[in-house]
Amino acid sequence: MRSPKTYGWRAAPLWPLLAKELREITNGRALWTMLLLLCPLVGYSFFQAVSLYGEASTAALQSPVLANSLSPLDGILVPTLGSFYVAVTLLFPFVAIRALGQEKETGALRLLVQLPYRPSTLVSAKLAAVLGAWSLASIPALSALILWRILGGHVAAVETANLLFGHMVYGLLVGALALFSASIADSASTAAIIALAVTIGSWVLDFTVAGNPGLLSWIAQLSLTQTLRPFEQGLLSGGRVLGAACVIFGLIALTTVWLPPGVPPLGKLRRSLPWVLIVALMLGAAAQVRLTFDVTEDRRNSFPAVDQKLLATLPLPLLVTVHLAPEDPRYADLQRNVLAKLERAMPTVSVALARPRQGFSGGSSDEAYGEVEYVYGNRSDISRSTSPREILPLLYALAGVSLPAPTPGSEYSGYPLVASADAALFWFFGGLPLLIVLCWWWIRRPPSNSLAYKGGTS
Amino acid sequence: MLSAQLPSGENSVPPLRVIDLTKWYGEDRAIDGVTFSASAGEVVGIIGPNGAGKTTLLETLVGLLPADAGDVLWHGEPLPASERRNALFYLPDGVRPYRDDATFQVVSFFADVYRRSAAEIADTIASVGLRLVLHKRVHALSKGYNRRLLLALALLAPHPVLLMDEPFDGFDLRQTREVVDVLRNQAAQGRTFILAVHQLVDAERVCDRLILLAAGQVRGSGTLDELRTQASLPAGSLEDIFLALT
Repeated sequence: MRSPKTYGWRAAPLWPLLAKELREITNGRALWTMLLLLCPLVGYSFFQAVSLYGEASTAALQSPVLANSLSPLDGILVPTLGSFYVAVTLLFPFVAIRALGQEKETGALRLLVQLPYRPSTLVSAKLAAVLGAWSLASIPALSALILWRILGGHVAAVETANLLFGHMVYGLLVGALALFSASIADSASTAAIIALAVTIGSWVLDFTVAGNPGLLSWIAQLSLTQTLRPFEQGLLSGGRVLGAACVIFGLIALTTVWLPPGVPPLGKLRRSLPWVLIVALMLGAAAQVRLTFDVTEDRRNSFPAVDQKLLATLPLPLLVTVHLAPEDPRYADLQRNVLAKLERAMPTVSVALARPRQGFSGGSSDEAYGEVEYVYGNRSDISRSTSPREILPLLYALAGVSLPAPTPGSEYSGYPLVASADAALFWFFGGLPLLIVLCWWWIRRPPSNSLAYKGGTS
Repeated sequence: MLSAQLPSGENSVPPLRVIDLTKWYGEDRAIDGVTFSASAGEVVGIIGPNGAGKTTLLETLVGLLPADAGDVLWHGEPLPASERRNALFYLPDGVRPYRDDATFQVVSFFADVYRRSAAEIADTIASVGLRLVLHKRVHALSKGYNRRLLLALALLAPHPVLLMDEPFDGFDLRQTREVVDVLRNQAAQGRTFILAVHQLVDAERVCDRLILLAAGQVRGSGTLDELRTQASLPAGSLEDIFLALT
């Protein structure tokens, strides 16, 4: 009789498990239904985006100055993929839950956990299948990008790849959340309720609480939607990517804890606590990572290249004290146009918000309200401007360096395009859905390669 | 409380020994100090009425449910719950795995995981009579064929001890006899089977030894003759013994 060690997890190949997980997801109706719903959603968003972009381009073709602001990232990619984001938020949990919920409901999980795989391997294979499902679900959005190219539109490779990467991270977040929901719930429907409560809840949180000061602002940062924002702005934020990776890792670790049947919930809760603490610590560490890259073609998140180079050479820390309330729109302008760019360009920048003094009537009685103080070395200056055109000369004066000469021809010229996306509607409302239905039928057709085993001895 | 007796006259340590296995569900004791052993090539039947604790015993034994007390020994060494899946494979009752897959896909999955050769797969399929429905999706299988599929999955697992919950459920008389032959053939090759059975006729037909379970406790164990002695029914059927001891 063989030793039990013979059947340890090291002996088992991974590919049958991965193939089974992928089959489990593609066999379900949820993925194909989502794909079919995505066609009109993405198609109409794309059609509208191209129409609006064309209208703006008509004026821009007569005035090159207007063309500067015409970037396909804002005009086409973000709105088109925005509908994909909505579908991932609302529909993708149903697709991902199937990867685990089906096995729980049919009892197959009790067979699966006996196979020679670690629970973490089982869950990782499910996440890989969820990623595969997300890739399939992104086909309508990807086809919109191809159509845009066919129409003559411009696609900047790096910023587009960054945006798609952001959507993939968001999809993995939703997928990991769905897997965790399926692991703690007894049925797929309960798991769907849990997952949707979180995704829709964080969506609501994002647009009701965002922009508010203090604790509410911090709570808004917890929204899943926040993950996508820097990517839509053309930023590759190291902290945000690491943070999302930590959350995905945490959800997968918790799913692994909650996967095995038979362990009492209290025991699973006890085992979950260390993981929650570890992930909280990892998130804290990820929040400290300030590394961010501006991957946009128009460099909208950066100062002009010559300024970037010069600012990077300034060795001393820059202290900025802002006398503005966080909810003041001027603060948002300053943050976007100056402070965020400075933080990325200079080695050390510290920004402090000075609390404005309150008058008897409840309004601000601080005469300094609206001022922004810049301290570099032992020199300081004050400005009320939120424009880099005024702030950069001020900083160069503080640092004692002369203004860099602008490089001619380095300005973004924009990509105006007047095109009609009418033909695209035929693709999104006819061709692509038909193709999806055909693929669905092909996958659901009676399998025929069972003949391989028919020659066995009987 | 009675404990199942170890097989008499054995010199070697039985591969599997279960000692005082106990499992509570809240205030209820689902299995209560169950002790038994199983030798290589033996078919052990756990029989008892509904609610006797047969399924709980099997699931606790394989480590799917945490035991509150007791030990499981493998060749005399303690076998922790986390390692039991390396020695024991459990086939639960009422499972219809991967409903949307074709039958051959489910069989292939298990065969690939355990690196079974094409000849072994073909042998298994032929032995359980699954050939005619290989192309069918699992959800379209009859109860009997679903049971055959599960049996094929268990036989593809290379584990020395197979535990099966109600393995004859869904089979008619002829099919039951065929499956009994399959199990006996496997046992003859050294595999051990522990079967939870509620049909006494089936149990009598296939099992070398029987463990009578009622209210989570072992009420009798041994061969049919040994049970007759325990129940003081020299000519009694298993049904009579069962009623006398439980």
